Amino acid sequence: MIEHQSLFLALAVTLFFIGAAGAVVRRNAIIVFMCIEIMLGGVNLAFLTFTRTTQNLDGAFMVMCIMAVAAVEAAVGLAIFFLLYRKTGSIDLEKFNLLKW
Amino acid sequence: MLESMLLYLAAALTLVTSVMVAVTRNTVHSALWMVASCFLLAVVFLFLRLQFMAALQVIIYAGAVMMFIIFAIMMLNLRVNPGRIQLRSTKTAGLVLVLFLFPALLLLLGMGRGIAALQGQVSLRALEQFGEVPLLANVMFSDYLLPFELVSILLTVGVIGAVALAKKRKD
Amino acid sequence: MFDLVWLIPTLPALGVLLNGLLGRKIEAANKSLVHWIACSAVGLSFFLTCLTFLELLQLPAELRLVEFTWFNWISAGEFQSYWAYQIDPLSMVMCLFVTGVGFLIHIYSIGYMGHAEGRYYRYFTYLNLFMFSMINLVLANNFLLMFLGWEGVGFCSYLLIGFWFGNIDNARAGKKAFITNRIGDFAFLVGLFLLITHLGKHGVWSVNFTEVFSHASALPPGIVTAVCLLFFIGCTAKSAQIPLYIWLPDAMAGPTPVSALIHAATMVTSGIYFVTRSNILYQMSPLALQVIAVVGALTALLAASIALTQNDIKRVLAYSTVSQLGYMFLGLGVGAFSAGIFHVVTHSFFKALLFLCAGSVMHGLANEQDMRFMGGMRKKMPVTYLTMLIGTLAIVGFPGLAGFFSKDEILWKTFASGHVLLWMIGVFTAGLTAFYMFRLIFMTFFNECRASREVQAKIHESPRTMTVPLIVLAALSAIGGYIGVPHALGGSNRIEHFLEPVMGTGPGKLIAGGEHLAQEAAHGAYHPSLAVEYLLMLLSVAIVLIGIGLAYTLYVKERERPVQLAERFSGLYRLMFNKWYVDELYGLIAVRPLHRASLFLWKGIDVLIIDGVVNGLARIFGWSGTWLRTVQTGYVQAYAVSLLLGVAGLMLYTLFVLVP
Repeated sequence: MIEHQSLFLALAVTLFFIGAAGAVVRRNAIIVFMCIEIMLGGVNLAFLTFTRTTQNLDGAFMVMCIMAVAAVEAAVGLAIFFLLYRKTGSIDLEKFNLLKW
Repeated sequence: MLESMLLYLAAALTLVTSVMVAVTRNTVHSALWMVASCFLLAVVFLFLRLQFMAALQVIIYAGAVMMFIIFAIMMLNLRVNPGRIQLRSTKTAGLVLVLFLFPALLLLLGMGRGIAALQGQVSLRALEQFGEVPLLANVMFSDYLLPFELVSILLTVGVIGAVALAKKRKD
Repeated sequence: MFDLVWLIPTLPALGVLLNGLLGRKIEAANKSLVHWIACSAVGLSFFLTCLTFLELLQLPAELRLVEFTWFNWISAGEFQSYWAYQIDPLSMVMCLFVTGVGFLIHIYSIGYMGHAEGRYYRYFTYLNLFMFSMINLVLANNFLLMFLGWEGVGFCSYLLIGFWFGNIDNARAGKKAFITNRIGDFAFLVGLFLLITHLGKHGVWSVNFTEVFSHASALPPGIVTAVCLLFFIGCTAKSAQIPLYIWLPDAMAGPTPVSALIHAATMVTSGIYFVTRSNILYQMSPLALQVIAVVGALTALLAASIALTQNDIKRVLAYSTVSQLGYMFLGLGVGAFSAGIFHVVTHSFFKALLFLCAGSVMHGLANEQDMRFMGGMRKKMPVTYLTMLIGTLAIVGFPGLAGFFSKDEILWKTFASGHVLLWMIGVFTAGLTAFYMFRLIFMTFFNECRASREVQAKIHESPRTMTVPLIVLAALSAIGGYIGVPHALGGSNRIEHFLEPVMGTGPGKLIAGGEHLAQEAAHGAYHPSLAVEYLLMLLSVAIVLIGIGLAYTLYVKERERPVQLAERFSGLYRLMFNKWYVDELYGLIAVRPLHRASLFLWKGIDVLIIDGVVNGLARIFGWSGTWLRTVQTGYVQAYAVSLLLGVAGLMLYTLFVLVP
């Protein structure tokens, strides 16, 4: 299967940009969050492809780290959405321009 | 040949489900598409002969993270809320950037063929002999001990942070 | 008693603290407490000065120099300056009349300033502050402490001239006095620095009078002359001499007791005190002495000529003060230092008296200052009239009164030292003095009263607090001269003997330069005989009598004549009446160009360039800030886009820089 290296990488890049487009455009915070997960999935795929082609396990370890970070992100991010919703009744990202000052 | 066909199918389905995640209006539907996308990505991992990673993908993403998300959606009782897009110009700029970056990155892939020649410490034979778990464990507890511990600390901090944030304050 | 000398300046300082910090409350509670505090502080100072003086008299003449070091004031490297006082004949003479006259004027102020509601405490605070500074000035044993007093009196003068600052003219007069004094003080400071650095080259890092004078012979003559002349510029400002006398007539804007105390009796004489104190330096520089003598004589003449035509009673007295100060400097310039101090003392008596009398007249006449609206006050204010007559006779040098002895001493010393031309100017000025002083007397006290009917109805003799000081000062003016009766008239010139230890040429104090000069004087000078001295005395008395007679003719008998004369010599009259246009001249050559330059520096350099650069920078940052602010929208996704932009940048870098 390793001869399909280009296919795997192209899939990874495409996933990354689908996620990026969704993350930039969508207004629902949870969907944006899921799009970011798709981007991470693309990155994971790229790492694992290179693990196989270079016969090096560094990429695999990296993927494990990314998964851990994704889990943490999910926990903290969802807690933040939770808080936002409790305070304002909405998680529409275009209603919050709080990241100033 | 069959395997190749299956790979193409899995890849195509992954793309479709991912696009569906990004474009569906209903949040719950979007989450379900995301679950599908995660499973399909795990399938793609299988084609790389990385069974452990595929298992992790299913457990962590499709299991833990997506469970979180659906849980949150239920808690928040979200509705589809139509409204004007305010950041139209910003978002257009973002899409344009994506459209520029995508072919550029693909172009870069075409130039990167040379890396296949590299030979690492994990030969195909070793992989087939021991499976990836012992090899990965070997690396993880020797070369990457410090990052491994750091990741565990990060996880702890994340848990505490999430609890502290979501806790109801008496004010 | 010498150990208590620090109390002399401290008591007025205590008065300042009490009245200055709590005055408003004290005045509201009990107005008389304000002047009780102020007057008793100065009175006690005077009493202590008397005691110290008596104790000094107990000492033999050559030991009459006691220094009292209070504390170390400034200490920088090798340079040391102490807060220390010096008790010697000169400082005692000065201190005696400063505190004495000051005390009398404090008492007089009780009556005069009685109507100053709400500012009463402020007035006495300033007056006490002045006393503190002035006592520091005369008692200090070093240049620096003296300079502190010197600046302090200037500051108080500014405060008191502008005391009624509600009227902008008064505030301007205060400002003029202050700025003019600053010019002089600047020169003084430069002189002081020059002296310190050059003495420092000889290892004498001190400003102590005794030490400086004992090492003065080590200085090069050019430096001594420069230092002396720079100091003298300071003195011309403080003691109202050409070219910096212009502030004194305007200083009459202050309350009259202030004019009497500061601008007649004490502060303006500090220049004379200083030159006398530094006589050792001055005697080393004949050029500086010559300059002083000429400036003094010219000032005396110029001021007297202006006084002839003025109608404001206080202005006449102000110009008279300038003129008398000119006499004193003439005396100093010809080397008769003790004669100068003698005249300072007698002048402080009779000029303070004259000012207080003028104040008394004004008090009775609803603050009228113009002599054309006075007249006939002789009957209505007998005490004021009599005392003022005594003061006038004293100032014109009527035989037997204070001014006669001191002024004649100066004129005689001038003649004896060979400055015949200066002597002639002095004698002529004496005639002018007699004329304008009696013009003042006749216009104020004789003939019919020219004031308006309402004012006339209210004319009254002043209260006791005012007349008693007048009487005391009149008595002093009458007998004050007997401390210095010259040998020619059978006296022993006691004040000159008393002051001798201070003088560079006195016994036991001869220094190289002074000795040289004294010898030269002894050899080269012209020695007139006793007969000549009598003759000159008679001559000056005759000129004075002529002046009085002329004034009588013009202002009592033929009163239409002055107008005719003014018309006949209208050019000269206008020149004199307008003070020789000196103010206008200064305005043209100094004030206006300076004003223009300042305006240019302000509007051109400061506002346009300096502010422009600063404001321009601020505006640039402001603009870029407003522009850049739009980048920080606060929306997450906008930041995500900028993140993508960064990725694009990295991509371009990889594609075009790293890969090829």
